Amino acid sequence: MAETDWRAFLDRLYESLVRDGLIVDHEDAPLDAAALPGAVAVIRPRRIGLVSYPYEWAFSQLKEAALLTLDLQAGALDAGMRLKDASAYNIQFEAGRPILIDSLSFEVAEPTEAWPAYRQFCEHFLAPLALMAYRDVRCGLMLRDFIDGIPLDLAAGLLPGRSRLNFGLLSHLHLHAGAQRRAAKAPAPSEGDARPTRRVSTTGQRALLDSLRRTVAGLRWEPSGHWADYATTTSYSDAATVSKGELVREMLSAVGGRSAWDLGANTGVYSDMATTAGYRVVAWDQDAGSVEAHWRRVRGDGNRSILPLVLDLSNPSPSIGWALEERASFLERGEPDVILALALVHHLAIGNNVPLPHVASLFARMARHAVVEFVPKEDPMTRRLLAARRDVFEHYSLDGFRAAFGGPFEIVREMPITDSPRTLFLLERR
Amino acid sequence: MPFGYIDPGSGSMLIQVILAGALAIPFFFRRVIADSWHRIRGGDRPSDPVKGGEDSDSRP
Repeated sequence: MAETDWRAFLDRLYESLVRDGLIVDHEDAPLDAAALPGAVAVIRPRRIGLVSYPYEWAFSQLKEAALLTLDLQAGALDAGMRLKDASAYNIQFEAGRPILIDSLSFEVAEPTEAWPAYRQFCEHFLAPLALMAYRDVRCGLMLRDFIDGIPLDLAAGLLPGRSRLNFGLLSHLHLHAGAQRRAAKAPAPSEGDARPTRRVSTTGQRALLDSLRRTVAGLRWEPSGHWADYATTTSYSDAATVSKGELVREMLSAVGGRSAWDLGANTGVYSDMATTAGYRVVAWDQDAGSVEAHWRRVRGDGNRSILPLVLDLSNPSPSIGWALEERASFLERGEPDVILALALVHHLAIGNNVPLPHVASLFARMARHAVVEFVPKEDPMTRRLLAARRDVFEHYSLDGFRAAFGGPFEIVREMPITDSPRTLFLLERR
Repeated sequence: MPFGYIDPGSGSMLIQVILAGALAIPFFFRRVIADSWHRIRGGDRPSDPVKGGEDSDSRP
């Protein structure tokens, strides 16, 4: 990064962005800590809780990250600067809000130079949001394969025809993809040809951002998934719900930690309990609808201690990118003090055919403590899972659970849930 | 053309210039109308539409 860009960023933008909570703050570090010679400055950004990736975000999270990126670019234009990239990976979620973590994204710009990050914004944000809103919310998972955003020709091909009736999508996505196609057919530049600088008036720059903002803000998706309704259609009796809640609270207090991952969190009933017990919670669920509903709820409540994210535990986010080192896998992103796995193990063991010892060993890799619920075969929810398949799960029993989890864990407490065939375990890694 | 030589960047730049030019006209007039309206009503100038007005839902 050029020294002029860095100085301009500090003089014109840094303080107001930190004050507004839009960018992560940093400390200055000694110059001799630089990785390369000739460094202008060395900074130590404040560490954020958990790094998450766009393919783990609910629709509204990706939309908020997109709007933040546009706000940052608009603010930079006011200061005679610009964002030189618009990568979704530069945005993280902290304390219930999106925040820019790349302090080196800003550069001094001529007022009429075209925005170099326009294409990246469309690929990282607009294309996946449009596909999620117009086609299927699970299209967000495509970002796992397309690490640098969804190619616009692919997005344009997958979107339904009615997306062309949306003026913003017609312009920034369909016509944009067409322009890329035509440019690809153009003859190669001759030797010595200078790369043309594209000019856009300052009003044009504002108009483009305004149009992108309106397009993104206008995209909507409403969750209507099975799991999003689950909390209201659960099979527990009131007594069982109360008993389970009390046991979960007791066990979390006994652990006395500060960070928890709630696996299969659904819309976050037990994540809430964990926050009242003083935990910061990452609430993972495979259903995009539940995560969306959960995010909207914590956003509405102003709860800054819960981060809901999308994850299929039977196929969690892998390491991806160059040398498989660009984006870390689910298991490489820190270790919470405790994991909660409530009404989850039967889905893994019976729904996904994962033997109990394998479930136990994965849990033991994730955290030192675990609060795990065992749902036996006689429970109505497990019976539903078994209804459509042959019961080949002879080891799926309370004794089988104790034997499997007793390997990597010590069973600290085992408590039956009142008015229910279920049992709750507090486990500590050996 | 072999896939590895295709650079979508130049098409993106071109469409950006065209769209920015086309969008600038209604954007300019919308701003003029909004400014005049607020001047008539004697209020402050509305917030920059790019930074969000009524649909500014990136912040709570």
